[in-house]
Amino acid sequence: MSEVPTIRVVDVHKRFGSLEVLKGVSFEVHRGNVVSMIGASGSGKSTLLRCINHLETPTTGDIFIEGESLCFRGDAAGSRAPRPLSEINRMRRDLGTVFQQFNLWPHMTVLGNVIEAPNRVRGLSRKAAAQLGGECLARVHLEDKALEYPARLSGGQQQRVAIARALAMQPKVMLFDEPTSSLDPELTDEVLGVMRELAADGTTMIVVTHEMGFAREVSDRVMFLHNGLIEEEGPPDQMFGAPKSERFRQFIAKYLY
Amino acid sequence: MGNWQRLVWNQRDALFSGLVVTVEICLIAFACAIVGGLLLCLIRMYVRPLRPVAIVLIEFFRATPILVQLLWVNYAWPALFGWPDTFFTAAWVALALQSSGYLAETFRGGIEAIPRGHREAAYSVGMRPMLVFRRIILPQVALSTAPSIVNQFTVIVKSSTLVSVITVQDLMFESQRIVNIWYEPIEMLTATAAIYIIIVFLVSTAGKALSDMLRRRFGIAAA
Repeated sequence: MSEVPTIRVVDVHKRFGSLEVLKGVSFEVHRGNVVSMIGASGSGKSTLLRCINHLETPTTGDIFIEGESLCFRGDAAGSRAPRPLSEINRMRRDLGTVFQQFNLWPHMTVLGNVIEAPNRVRGLSRKAAAQLGGECLARVHLEDKALEYPARLSGGQQQRVAIARALAMQPKVMLFDEPTSSLDPELTDEVLGVMRELAADGTTMIVVTHEMGFAREVSDRVMFLHNGLIEEEGPPDQMFGAPKSERFRQFIAKYLY
Repeated sequence: MGNWQRLVWNQRDALFSGLVVTVEICLIAFACAIVGGLLLCLIRMYVRPLRPVAIVLIEFFRATPILVQLLWVNYAWPALFGWPDTFFTAAWVALALQSSGYLAETFRGGIEAIPRGHREAAYSVGMRPMLVFRRIILPQVALSTAPSIVNQFTVIVKSSTLVSVITVQDLMFESQRIVNIWYEPIEMLTATAAIYIIIVFLVSTAGKALSDMLRRRFGIAAA
């Protein structure tokens, strides 16, 4: 493929003190692709996702968003300097993030949560932002909850609002960090349903998940992380049908039986 | 009832003028304490080089008795700083100082109680730190600390009785002045206590109603 990848992760290492959580991870995500990252707790998948939107700074390595370096700013002379926070904030607008804990702002209505960034960051008028916010809420089937406060919604509804909030910035990629891990099984399905629809619409997505069914059915590619490295990756049918690595075989065995 | 009429009702103008002074001092001190407390809290949390200064001030304001503060501001400050120039000013400054120490810690608790994820969600949509503080942090802190802030106002009202010591003519001052005319304290002091009880009751009832309303509406704000 000759097009510039939407996300390119290059040899990312992340170290917390003496603990090396990521030991050199590289991969690419192209436009319209859905990539699932799976792995045991502590394998580094959430940390990797947090490096991609720079909530964690990689110790070494870099991330490129449509070819633009997230961590460094180069000049014509070829020298590199760490990118200032203001520019990282600008680049983050292209990355919509959905968290395990939803993280809706409780003092704002559902619509307020969704239009905050389009209004204050992107500079849309309240009216234009509300129009956009309504469309985003419609995509997660919550247009009738626009004026409620988050505390009145179920967990699944809150997570769908969080998805709408991320969509409202019209990001190039959606990052999901275990979006269903704090939900009951029946609420999980409504969130996964929305994510399936996004995938079907051609949204570029990176999903950290423990939902093997979702990873298998919806992803274009699955990556299995183990001890800070990509242990195995490939199309889901191949990964789940004929796993190569012993560790991945053990990992999915726990989900199958 | 004759005594009550003579000792209290007939003195109502003096009591009322004292009440006005009390309310003025408390409101000014309260407003300054909120601003001062927020400043101290922000310096302590976010301005690394000035952090020790803020901690020392907060602890000093919290650890000294209000009477000591009052006398210190009233007698030491004019000599040290050439200000305050009136007893009235010294009174609200001292009250504001003490409450700003307490409120600084209240605000810090409120800020630290906000889940880190709320900030991360804001950064993820590209909000700048100042915008995050103004739009995400501060409103939540205001909501969650509102009951404590209201409570601090009742503390100010009660502490304000001490300003009579530096001859500020507040409600307590007027009450004592009248007692000292006839040396018949029972009715007057009972009436004075009743007035303070009513003020504090009204304020704390309003505070309770406020926090109930916040909890119903947002599902946040502790009791």
